[in-house]
Amino acid sequence: MNLPNFKKYLIEKGGLSEEEYYQVNSLIQTKKVQQNEFLLKEGSICSHFFFVEHGVLRFYALNDQGKENILQFATENWILSDRGSIFYKEPSNYNIDAIEDTLTVMLDEHFINAVAKVNPNFRKQNEILLQNHIRHLYRRISLLLGASAKVRYLDFVKTYPDIMLRVPQWMIASYLGVTPESLSRVRKALTNEDFKS
Amino acid sequence: MKTRSIEKVTPPGSPHFVGDGFRVHNFIPGTSTMKRMDPFIMMDYNSKFNFPPTDTPKGVGVHPHRGFETVTIAYKGRVEHGDSAGGGGIIGEGDVQWMTAASGVLHKEFHETEWSKKGGEFQMVQLWVNLPAKDKMSPPKYQAIPNHEMLNIALPNNAGEIEVIAGAYEGKKGPASTFSPINMYNVKLNKGGKTQLSFPVHYTTALVMIEGDAIINESTDALQDHFVMFGNDGESFAIEAKSDAIILVLSGEPLNEPIAAQGPFVMNTREELMEAFQDFNTGKFGYLEA
Repeated sequence: MNLPNFKKYLIEKGGLSEEEYYQVNSLIQTKKVQQNEFLLKEGSICSHFFFVEHGVLRFYALNDQGKENILQFATENWILSDRGSIFYKEPSNYNIDAIEDTLTVMLDEHFINAVAKVNPNFRKQNEILLQNHIRHLYRRISLLLGASAKVRYLDFVKTYPDIMLRVPQWMIASYLGVTPESLSRVRKALTNEDFKS
Repeated sequence: MKTRSIEKVTPPGSPHFVGDGFRVHNFIPGTSTMKRMDPFIMMDYNSKFNFPPTDTPKGVGVHPHRGFETVTIAYKGRVEHGDSAGGGGIIGEGDVQWMTAASGVLHKEFHETEWSKKGGEFQMVQLWVNLPAKDKMSPPKYQAIPNHEMLNIALPNNAGEIEVIAGAYEGKKGPASTFSPINMYNVKLNKGGKTQLSFPVHYTTALVMIEGDAIINESTDALQDHFVMFGNDGESFAIEAKSDAIILVLSGEPLNEPIAAQGPFVMNTREELMEAFQDFNTGKFGYLEA
């Protein structure tokens, strides 16, 4: 299967040569999911990291009232998983489903070990990924605790430049922890600002 | 004058929905690449499809465009549209909407409310025409071209007529103004009617078989809903209608500029593309009520 994004990821980020990529190529597992289809359901144990080759995924929890709280989106080249569930082999409190028809590469310990065997740099990349994820979560928590809806929105579109065109507004409001009405107000107010000043 | 040969005839591929109102086959870039089709960067063809009556008009909600023009040609059905530059109206059967998004507009398009209540046959072409780099950030504008303003030229021997949307046929100009040389006609032939068309050899040239079947260059069948792509080895080609036919003819001079395209933005560089997303996200495209 042609996976240009994943190939680029292994070569540019993972440090593999073209030749090394072809050595691990046959171990790559992919999964296609249609819009609204699940990759992870609350209560089950998460077994993979999902690299998004193309499409959009979301990672969310349901609260006591059944309301969805979106923790993360993943578009092309993002990796999404419930790290806690994978590491501790415990049932997940989260769900992962597709917002668009999505093609993912499924990464597990077996695959990561196999790639690291071919090129040990890959293990370092996974460490970087984990640290980056923690840094992202710190930032997200601090914005949720202390920043205005406008600051949160502007930070969000910097992280996900094309997502406003791919995801319904109510989901973005859920991610930002604001009501859809207040997201709409923020966006409308921005159109009246002079950004050049 | 040398004959322009056929490069490829493509049947309509599996359709997909744009929003919930347009059931389309993608011909550009689907059958080729944006570079090959230059200056035409995208074309979706909604072959005849029957929409049942509904009180909630179907269509596509607010979305942005930058860097090109959208051309909507309505063959069956009616579309209501509006944009953040103040443009808007109804595109009826036979009409053309030529929107220059250029530096950026938000727009939305839905089946007309009254048409939706009755439902019926819907058939449309939406084409994106690229803008030269120097015009990509020019102010948006809008040309509504009702059917009665099109230039109609009768063909000899009762073969049919040519409706000129843009460009010129035998020196007679159609109503749409363009930023680079483009010819766009509806060729309407009676059964057995023949005509010969000619464009400069380097122009990107293609046909969409809107209605009926025809024989091209006396040898190749072009069936209804098929897409015909010509090579660049000659100027002229011949069409003979096997049944009453309507054929959309496109021929444009390639811009030969770099293309950086993602989603609804078509620019020249990756940086300009990122700037388009940033400008859209930060409200620089204005506001349009959903």
